[in-house]
This record gives sequence, structure tokens and C-alpha cells, in this order.
Amino acid sequence: MLTLAVLIPLLAALVLAFAPLSEAASRWTATGAAALSLIALMVVWAAGGEGFRAVAEVPWIPALGIAWRVGVDGMSLSLALVSALVFVAATAWPMKLHDARAYYAWMAFLAGVSIGLFVTLDLIVFYVFFDLSLVGMYFLIGRWGHGDAQHAALKFFIYTLAGSLLILIGIIVLALNMPTLTFDMRAMIDTPPLAAAGVVPGLVFLAFVIGFGIKTPVFPVHTWLPPAHVNAPGPASAILAGVLLKMGTYGLIRIPLQMMPETFARWALPLAIIGVVSIVWGSIVAFAQENLKRRIAYTSVNHMGYTVLGIAVAGSALGSETARQLALTGAVVEMIAHALITGALFLIAGSVWQRAEDYHLPNFGGLAGTAPRLTGAATLAAFASLGLPGLAGFVAELQIFVGAFGVYPWLAVIGLLGILITAALFLRMLRQMFFGDLPAERKGFTDLNRTETVLLTALLALVVLIGIWPTWLLLLIDAPSLIPAIGAGG
Amino acid sequence: MIWALAYFPVLAGLAIWAIGGSRATLGAMGAVAAAATLALALVAGGGTGRFVWSELIVLQAALPPLAQSVAILVPAILLPITLFATSQEDTRGLPRLVGLMLVFTGGMELVVIAGDLVTLLIGWEIVGACSWALIGHKWREQAPGPSANFAFVLTRAGDLGLFLAVMATMGATGSASYAALGTLDGVPLALAAFGLLVAAVSKAGQVPFAPWLFRAMDGPTSVSALLHSATMVAAGAYILARLHPQLSAAPGFGAAAIAVGLGTAVLGGIVALRQTHAKKLLAGSTSAQMGLMIATVGAGYPGVAVLHLIVHAATKAALFCAAGVAHRVSGSFDLRRMGLAASLPAATVLTAIAALSLAAVPPLSGGWSKEEMVKALEHAGPLLGALTIVSGGLSAAYATRFAVAAFGPGETRDARTRPGEMAALALLSGGALALSALWLPAVNEPVAAWIGAELPSGSRIGLIASLVAVAFGVLAGVHAARADSTDPTPEWLGLSALYEYAVIRPFHALSQTAADFDDTTIDQSVIRPFQALSQTAADFDDATIDGLAPGAATGAMTGSARAARGAIGIAVQGSAALAALGAGLGERLSDLIPDGTGRVTGMAGADLRRLQTGLAHHYYTILMVGFALAVGLLIFGG
Repeated sequence: MLTLAVLIPLLAALVLAFAPLSEAASRWTATGAAALSLIALMVVWAAGGEGFRAVAEVPWIPALGIAWRVGVDGMSLSLALVSALVFVAATAWPMKLHDARAYYAWMAFLAGVSIGLFVTLDLIVFYVFFDLSLVGMYFLIGRWGHGDAQHAALKFFIYTLAGSLLILIGIIVLALNMPTLTFDMRAMIDTPPLAAAGVVPGLVFLAFVIGFGIKTPVFPVHTWLPPAHVNAPGPASAILAGVLLKMGTYGLIRIPLQMMPETFARWALPLAIIGVVSIVWGSIVAFAQENLKRRIAYTSVNHMGYTVLGIAVAGSALGSETARQLALTGAVVEMIAHALITGALFLIAGSVWQRAEDYHLPNFGGLAGTAPRLTGAATLAAFASLGLPGLAGFVAELQIFVGAFGVYPWLAVIGLLGILITAALFLRMLRQMFFGDLPAERKGFTDLNRTETVLLTALLALVVLIGIWPTWLLLLIDAPSLIPAIGAGG
Repeated sequence: MIWALAYFPVLAGLAIWAIGGSRATLGAMGAVAAAATLALALVAGGGTGRFVWSELIVLQAALPPLAQSVAILVPAILLPITLFATSQEDTRGLPRLVGLMLVFTGGMELVVIAGDLVTLLIGWEIVGACSWALIGHKWREQAPGPSANFAFVLTRAGDLGLFLAVMATMGATGSASYAALGTLDGVPLALAAFGLLVAAVSKAGQVPFAPWLFRAMDGPTSVSALLHSATMVAAGAYILARLHPQLSAAPGFGAAAIAVGLGTAVLGGIVALRQTHAKKLLAGSTSAQMGLMIATVGAGYPGVAVLHLIVHAATKAALFCAAGVAHRVSGSFDLRRMGLAASLPAATVLTAIAALSLAAVPPLSGGWSKEEMVKALEHAGPLLGALTIVSGGLSAAYATRFAVAAFGPGETRDARTRPGEMAALALLSGGALALSALWLPAVNEPVAAWIGAELPSGSRIGLIASLVAVAFGVLAGVHAARADSTDPTPEWLGLSALYEYAVIRPFHALSQTAADFDDTTIDQSVIRPFQALSQTAADFDDATIDGLAPGAATGAMTGSARAARGAIGIAVQGSAALAALGAGLGERLSDLIPDGTGRVTGMAGADLRRLQTGLAHHYYTILMVGFALAVGLLIFGG
């Protein structure tokens, strides 16, 4: 079933690459593929189970212990589900495009490899998907972006490729240190390699942190993100923020935290500090941005900072077990909430670009009158992003902060500043965009059309549902099962 | 059942917003929804509720009598204000206004019924968000937007205290329930108590958070009436009273509450007395009155504070309605241009009742609850009692000044009253009048017993001093209303300017500097070492490439640790090659697109495709080479 979830979008990409479909047919082929993938994942979800479920394995290079292994636990299933959902929304999002068929082919390709990354249980396959996602995004930004899209795409590409090479090295070293050579994630989680202290585990850990840190991104390797977002088409930005950034934090949990718990615990504090610096720095810098997309992009640095803080706390082996569980639950919920919320915000930004070809906030104002639905959606998404209770971001941030306070109280307190500054910057954005006088050149600004309304409503309804009743999601994530044995009892 | 108290008004409000309708329809729907909420509050007493989020986070609700009294108060005030709003405010956006006021009420009810700090925090911030939307209601105008943002951010700064309280309580006990809060001691208790105090004083518009209340005056008058009486600011005073049993053990908590409360009571009184803007006068008064309540809680009489909260709510809502009527008739909020006694005789009588209650003139209700607070603070110390009396005198002065200036003698204008406005004013002033029954021991004793309030005993000299201060205050107020011609003083004694120059502008500058630094220095400092490294590696690669590969292979065969080192060496080479590739691409890119002017739109599709095909080709070559190396390494290593 999981294999289907990966193959359907990839097949759709293949079809789109060769079959001469019209623009509308291409769009619905890609959307349909993502939707089928989502359905396949929901079937897995409905089947329930604990630990890794829906496991399937096909030998590929037995001599090296490499195989097509798929299977999901609560964390990867929830991330795969939300990724598929973001893909459905992003591909269905109405766009004015040149070479539409190729665009949708790349979208479907990206959907397949992104979902594949979350459902695979083989590190080499993980690495391949990690890199292929980069290729897909490179083309989406470079070909369909605007402004200085080529430079932005190249910067994104070079940065994350440098990171992914470090990850490859780390993966190889981990595999080589297994009793028998294998790239099976389950085996590495059960018997973590490189448990001893020493230079090699430290270096491998560093490689993973830098590699995943670039992708996440964390301070100070985040500077590729804003140009990539600004110049990408709206739906690609939604995918970049909603799906691709999660690969970094998912990787951090899956590999360093679960496969190298001892080393992780030794380096948890510096990682937590990086998280807090990202929280504060991301929000302060976002506040100064006058470009709509840059402002949202920097809030991603801030939000992923919360996630990294939560992950670092979970792996710290300090404090109470309750605190670490809360922090990790919060971190995973933050990933999902951020995917939905920032995905929605970037789709909104895409709509703004389609209508105005401008992101400069001072050039806007008073849109609440001409575009009330857009205003409503943006307001809800902005409040969700600033962590208003009753919406999904709060559920995540509350747990991260409470958990972090139990382990690194001072870092948690400093991190709280982030939620104050994000409040200021999002409210400022809302005022600049939607309230006050309507500039003359925006008189013809149209409201969201029906497709846009439906898609945003779906994403934001989930944000509200998680905000009010997160129980089902917290049960699905099942964070206690993710924290490695070294953390137990501490 | 108990949760319905929170979600019913929210759903009803959203429905009314969606349905819309004429003034009369909206007024009727809003009033029915408020009445239904009131009925829920009446029947939900003593109930409890649990809503499980996870094993670790359980939302809880409870409605002991003290909380129930406030739960009843909120919809009881909302109802007349809905009538007022649908009668007075512009029809444009009226469904949104009526709907959001109900949502606001739902958030406040969640604060009231909360039985744990997480639930409290949820209601607390929903109230803040609704106040943002309501203050910014007239979004087409320039002023409300920034004011709404200012109010939300400043109160959220205080909310961080509540976050801290949640963190401290859950960190120490694993639960955020009020019961767990009661078991704290030491540092966690201090953090929780002072965190809650900061959150409460920010919501209640105390010094130094007071300026947001002035900015909130850019919202519609009906919003001010609700925000200053039974919601938002009231949440601050309420929560300190509600959690007093849990928090009072924290060292210094009572003293801090008294210091902030009494300080604001006196300063807010001065600010109010010197205002010429009708609503800002009332806003200064709200800070002062909330200050008295908070000080009373600090002195150990939370029940008395809640009783004053109830009396004050009716009184202050009535006065805001009066200010709204005066504004509609006179065309401005300037107290010097009103004088509406002849034009609006009925409104003048109703305003006089509410103003005298705010002035604490016996036998009106405000007089009773204020004297109870004077007695409570007398217990805490004679000086504190004296300050309370001074604050009471100031209240008498500004309340009198408001009433005399707004509804004193003046020319007769064409002033048609509107039934909704007058009904609201009559209900609220009537409520303040009816509450005067609290002077009777036969009434105040059972009420106090029901909510668990201990009524303090006081000295005769205190009572006399207090009444004398009120009398002087009334005289001073009458005099001020007649003599008044000065322009408004700096907002909130310069506190607003302090925020502007000491917080907001420096933060803008800091943020701009950080953004520039991020764009230039950080970006470059990450890229440059990488470029330098890859250059070095590339040189190394040129010089020693023949020697390294067999070396690495041999090394790999001797053991996995060495293989790891080999892998790192290969990776360095890989990244060097990559960097070279990147640099080469960059050059080609520059050739293709003249830097700065090159835009994708201007590029021929063929060139673009050629570029990308080239890139993919190179990339896959590198990928395959890397993969082959990895496989080779594994074969040797395995």
C-alpha cells in the first residue's frame, strides 16, 4: 500500500512527461495522483497498529543490505499524510503557466519522492529520495519562478546538495558500523551503531546535524531559504515550506536521535541553542521584511527553530521523561501544523502574486473590502502561525515550551520571545495587506475563486480541528515510542 | 454542559456573522444568544468538565460560585450592549461586530470556567485575539489597525507570564490543573504566581501596560463598553481573585499586587481627571478601578474584588453607552463640546445614576463595594487605606466631571434618542441602581456567603475619611467640568511615548539591522569558508589525486573505522567537485543572463532548457560517481 502511495505519483509524472495532455488534464492527473496517494496513506492509517506498520520489503542489492523497504510509524505516517495533503492542495491550486504539462509532471514527481522519503525504511532509498526532491524543487523554482529565480534555485540546490552529501557519508558510516552491513532503519534503531564515545560518532553526528540543519533550515545556514521562497511560484513555496523543510527535522529525529541516542544526548544542548537562536533570529529578521514572501519565509526559520528545540530536548536524556515526551510530541505537531499553516500562507501569497505581481507590502492595503475571503483565510492562517490557542500551532508550541522548560528552562524562556515577535510581525503584515486605504492600482483585485477557497478551507479546517481537538493526532504520532531507550527513566 | 458556556456563544456569534440582517434582526439574534448564554450560566453552577487532549494535557472546567457570579455577569452585560451596538453603530460591518462580541464573550466564559492553566491560556488569548478584531473593527480608517496591533502585542507580552506559569506548574507537577498549582512551593510557585500576576495586570490595563487601553479607544464605543466592563480587562482582575487561594502563598505576591494595583489606582485617577476625551477619561478610570480590585486581592479579599468587579461592570458599561450617545449627538468625544442635559433629559438621569455609582456616592452600589475595598486595604495597612481613599476621591472627581461636562447644562440640540441605546442605558444604569441593595446586610451577607467572600470590618474614621474624600472629589469634579479648557495632557503620563521611543522604534531599528546582517554577513560567512575549503580541496585534489585513491582503498580494507575516514575524504572530494560544478554553472549562468537585468520571463525557453539539461546531466554524473564510490567502499568495507 505504501509502495502504491509512492509509485502512483511517480507513474503520473511519467505519463505527464510523455503523453500530450492538455493543461487542465495535466493538472487533474497530477492532483488525482496526489489524492490517490493520500487515500492509500489513509488506508494505512485506518488499519491502525503500533510501531512500524504496513511494512513491505523487496530485495534490491542484497550484498549491501540495500532494499526497497517501506513502513511507517506514527510520526512518518502523519508526515506522509500531511505531505500528500499539501501536494493535493498545491497541485490543484489554479496557476497561469507556460509549459504546464512539464510543471505538473515535476509536481507529481516531487510528490512521489517526498512521500517516498517519509515511508521508506532504507537509508539509501531515503538518501536517494532526499536528493531527488532537491532536483524536483530546483526545476520548479528555476523554470516557473519569477524575479531572480535562476540564482535562487541554484543557491538552494548547492546549499542542500552540500548538506545531502554530508548525510550520505553519515549514512555509510552508520551502516558500516552495524554488526552485519545493512541500511535497514529498523535494525539501526533497535541496535544503535556507534554507541561509544569518540571522534567518529561526534563527526558523524555533526555531518547529520549540518546536513539536516541546512534543509530545515536553522541559523546560520538558512540564507538560501528566503530567495528560494521569494522567487518560487506560490504552490512550490507551499511545498518547500510544507514538505521539504520537514525532511530536515524528520531526518534529525529518525537518524541522529533514534540511531545515535548517546551521541545525541552529548550534543543536545548546542542543538537546543541553535534552535533557540533560530527562533529569535528568524522572528526578528522576519519583522523587518517588507516583502510578503520573505516575511513568511523567515517565520519558517522561527517555526523550525521550535521544532529543533523540541527535538533537542527530547534527545537530551535530561529532565523527566514527561518533559521529553511533551517536547517531541510538540516538535512533530509543529511540523504538521507548520506544513498546513505555512502551506496555506504561501498558497495565499501565490494568489496575491497571480493578481498583483507584487510582494511589496507597502504597496498593498485595504484588500479586506475587495477580497474578504482572502482576508479571512490570511487572518486565520496568520493567527495560527503566531500560535493563537484554538489553532494547531499553539498545540505544538505549548508542548515544546513546557517540555523544554523541564530540561533547559532558560532556553525555553528566551524562546518565548519568539511568540511575541511573531505576533507583532504577522499583525503588521495583516494591517499592511488588508486594512486601511485601498491603493488605486489594487482596485481590480479579485477575491479567492472557488477552487482556492475550497483548498484553503480544507487546510485551515484541519488547523482548527487540531487546535481544538488534537487527541487523534497525538495518539497517531505516539511520541513516547520515538524516544530511544537511553532517554527512558532519566 | 459547562463547556457549552464557552462554545455556544462562539458558535452563535459565528452564525450571526454569517447570517447577517437588519439592525433589528441582528439586535434580536444577539440578544437571544446573550440571554441563552445567561441561562446556561445560571444552570451550570457547580458543574465540572474534562476534555482529554493527551495523557499529559487534560483541559478542565469548573464553576464554583465565585466563578459562576462572573459567568452570569458577562452575558448579562453583553445583552444590553448588543442592543446598544445594533442601535448605535454603522450598519456596515454590523453582523461582524455583533458576532465577534459573542465570540469575545465565549472566550471570556472560557477564562471564567477554566479549571486548569492551559484552558485558561486558551480562553485568555482568544479574548485577546477578539479584542484585536473588535478594536480594529473600522478597518478602513487609519487609526484602528495600528491601535489593535499595539493592544494585542502589549497584552501578549503579558501573556508570556501565563505561558511561564503553565511551564512552571507542569514542569514541577506534570499537570496544569488549579489543584496542581495549589501544591507548588519555592521557585515554581514564585514563577507561577508572578507570571500570572504579569498576565493579569497586562490584561487589566495596569501600569506599565496601561497605554493599550487608550489605544483601544479607537474601537467602536460598544466594544469599549464590553471590553472595559465584563471582558478583557475584567479577566485580569477576575483571575487573580479566582486563583488567590493558590497564589497567595508566594512570597511577595500580595505586596506586589497591592503595589501595582494601588499605584495604578492613583495614577489612573490622575490620568482620567486630566482627560478631555470622554472615552479616554473612562479608560483611565477603568485602569484605576481594576487597580483597586487587584490591590484588594493582594490584601487578601478576593471575594470583595469580585463584588466590585460586578458593580463596576454595570456602571462602566452604562457610562460608555452614555459616552456613545453623547458622541452621536454632539459629533465628538470632546467633553468640552457636550452639555446635553437639555437635549437628552432621560439619558442625563440614567448617566447621573451610573456616574454617582462610579463616584462611590452612597447609597449607590459603587459606594458600597468601594467602601468594602477601603476596609480591605485598611487591614493591609493604614497608609494603603489612605491611598485607597485618595483614589476614591479621584474616582469621585473624574466621574462627576464626566457627568457634568457631558450631560450638564448646554444649548438644546436636535437630539433624537434611539430605543436600543436608551434600553441599554436603562438596563445598565438600572442594574447599577439595583445592585445598591448590597448596602443592606440582608442582601450583602447571603451574597458574600454564596461566593465565599469575606467582608472586612473597618474603622469609623476610615469610613468618614472616605466619605469626605468622595465629597471633595464631587466638588472638584463639578469645578473641573466648568473650568475645563486645557488640552489633553501627554497620553498616560508619557507612558505611551515611552513605548514608542524606548521599545517600538528601537525594535524596528534592531530588526532592520538584523535583516541587513542576515542578508550580507551571515550569508557570506557561510558561503565563503565553503568556497575556500573547496578551493583548497580542489588544489589538494589536483596535486595528490593519483596517490589518494589506492590509499583509501587499502585503508578501507583494513577496517571500517578507516573506511569511515576514507568516506570523509571522498566526500571532501565530492564537495570540491560539486563546488567547482557550482562555480562553473554560476559562470555559465552569468553568461546566459546579464546579471541583475536578466529575468526568466525574458529568457528563451530553449536556453533555459539547455541550461537545465546541462545541469541535470552533470548532477546525475556526480550522483552516479558518488554512488559508485560508495558502493566500492562498501564492497571493500563489508
